[in-house]
Amino acid sequence: MSDMLASAPEAPSLMTVRDLAVHIPTDAGVARILDGVSFTLPPGGSLGIVGESGCGKSTLLRAILGILPKGARVPQGQVLFQGQDILKTPVRGRIGFIPQDPYLSLNPVFRAGDQLLEGMRNHAPGTRDDHRKKLINLFHAVQLPEPQNALDKYPHQFSGGQRQRLLIAAALACDPDLVVADEPTTALDVTTQREILALLRSLISERNMGLLFVTHDFGVLSSVCEDVAVLYAGRVAEYGPTGNVLADPRHPYTRMLLACHPDRATDLIGIPGTVPAATAQPPGCRFHPRCPISRPNCAVAVPEAVRIFDGSRVACPYHADPLPEVALG
Amino acid sequence: MAEMIGARDLVVELGAERGLFRRRAGVRAVDGVSLSVTAGETFGVVGESGCGKTTLARTLLGLQRESGGEIRLENAVVSGVAPSLARRQRAAVQYVHQDPGAALDPWWRVGATLAEGLRIQGLTNRTEAADRIAETLRAVGLDPAFGERYPHELSGGQQRRIGLARILLLRPKLVILDEPTAGLDLSVQAAVLRLLRDLRDRFGLTYLFISHDLSVVRRVCDQVAVMYLGRIVEQAPAAELFAQPRHPYTRALLGAAPRLDGKAVAPTLRGDPPSLRAIPSGCRFHPRCLHADMSCLEREPVMQPVAAGHSVCCHHWREAA
Repeated sequence: MSDMLASAPEAPSLMTVRDLAVHIPTDAGVARILDGVSFTLPPGGSLGIVGESGCGKSTLLRAILGILPKGARVPQGQVLFQGQDILKTPVRGRIGFIPQDPYLSLNPVFRAGDQLLEGMRNHAPGTRDDHRKKLINLFHAVQLPEPQNALDKYPHQFSGGQRQRLLIAAALACDPDLVVADEPTTALDVTTQREILALLRSLISERNMGLLFVTHDFGVLSSVCEDVAVLYAGRVAEYGPTGNVLADPRHPYTRMLLACHPDRATDLIGIPGTVPAATAQPPGCRFHPRCPISRPNCAVAVPEAVRIFDGSRVACPYHADPLPEVALG
Repeated sequence: MAEMIGARDLVVELGAERGLFRRRAGVRAVDGVSLSVTAGETFGVVGESGCGKTTLARTLLGLQRESGGEIRLENAVVSGVAPSLARRQRAAVQYVHQDPGAALDPWWRVGATLAEGLRIQGLTNRTEAADRIAETLRAVGLDPAFGERYPHELSGGQQRRIGLARILLLRPKLVILDEPTAGLDLSVQAAVLRLLRDLRDRFGLTYLFISHDLSVVRRVCDQVAVMYLGRIVEQAPAAELFAQPRHPYTRALLGAAPRLDGKAVAPTLRGDPPSLRAIPSGCRFHPRCLHADMSCLEREPVMQPVAAGHSVCCHHWREAA
């Protein structure tokens, strides 16, 4: 895991996002969806991106995958993948994607094999027969039942967990160096979820791939990711090793969010207010209107990332201050 | 304490055809469920998808006709009647849809949706209806002006609140909550759970709480029933169930829930639940059970008491403990 600060020497990185901003013009004004997001993913590393709806998780994924919506502008920042800025020159076939909903992500009228082979035709070397062989091997690896016949089945012939295995195989089909997963287990039962997460972990580490994992479930996060970036309103509020952030959160937002977890909270209170609209971001620290320890300065100055220890930072100058007990339930 | 709703040996068969020329056995989505929900408590039902949670809810609600067994509502038998009558008899039972956004008509202002329920229940006086709607919106923590909004103008948490307001208007006694926190952010989830608790206390409601989020169930439920393939396999007070689960399935389910410390606590449960069309012999959990032996293949276990209010449906719960 490498440090974010610009002064630190460059560690080898699989992906470096540097000061990324994404703006989307809308009827209600410019939506500043991401604003100065930075992180580094070392080869073989795993980073979780957590945050509530509307904090920019999906836009960050789209920027990384090169599928930003039409009209989106990137006024600043870089997304370096193996040293290459993919905002300028898109990479093909080297980033695998596992979507959120296994039920919506396969076309019901085509055979599973045809849908998976379509992607490989453009992005993987070899003939169609090579591709079929490769997929069948992958089906073994993801423990799909009857891997020999799976190519010829239709999506409805698989259960939800099996479809997610199929989609993991699809994501790995072109031997990517990075796998990006968007809440891949939210549609699944806990028992299936656990199997899928264990499978994902072992496949990624066997192949030494990097993993970017978007989730809003802290339990899932802690079982999959080494590091975590907590996003709030388009900025990284806190970044660090998952165990540290969960055990000792520093940013008021992270502290209050974790206090909402049913396993943690002594009383259920939530966080007052809502995530601001991307077209009406408050000045200064974007969390200040909801923060119980905000000071006048918070409404003016954008907080700098404060380094807590190597590989861990928090975007709040008052991170050492105690929160009032009522805010933590 | 008084019973709000109860069921004895409830069986629900889905998809059966009993025509003159075609006969086809259906699947038993609910297969011999007995339960008793005390007034004022929150009764949780947990289990994997396809275990019959939602079918059980629909049957208690009167939307799905039972094939056998008995349903009691406030100590009166309400089963064995035609669906149209069943629903009218059970007006005290209301249901909050799993996806409140999908349950709202996108072309209707939410106020109109709320008024429709009152109209169906026979309240035609417009001012009285408007007053009750405003009062109920305030009760769920929304400004009465929200009645003028369209569903797409609401956030997920606000849609849940409207979903709750919609049934609170009808003055229910028992509210069936189907996955009330699915898809909500943590901070919103906490606020919704708190609201549910406040409303229960304020209006004297009883909840049947269907969920697969075990952290939430542990937090809000008084009693919990664990369902597997149409049967209740274990039932206990929530604190006891989470502290001392007895059924191997309950253990696996609790162990599979992701924990904040990232540690795994129980061996994983392998495979998917079998299809309802091919229910295994004997104990229906035996193909996935670590403790199964020949007796589990041959004999179907019955509910056995473990402690006060705690019962389990397993031959080997003593050894497995």
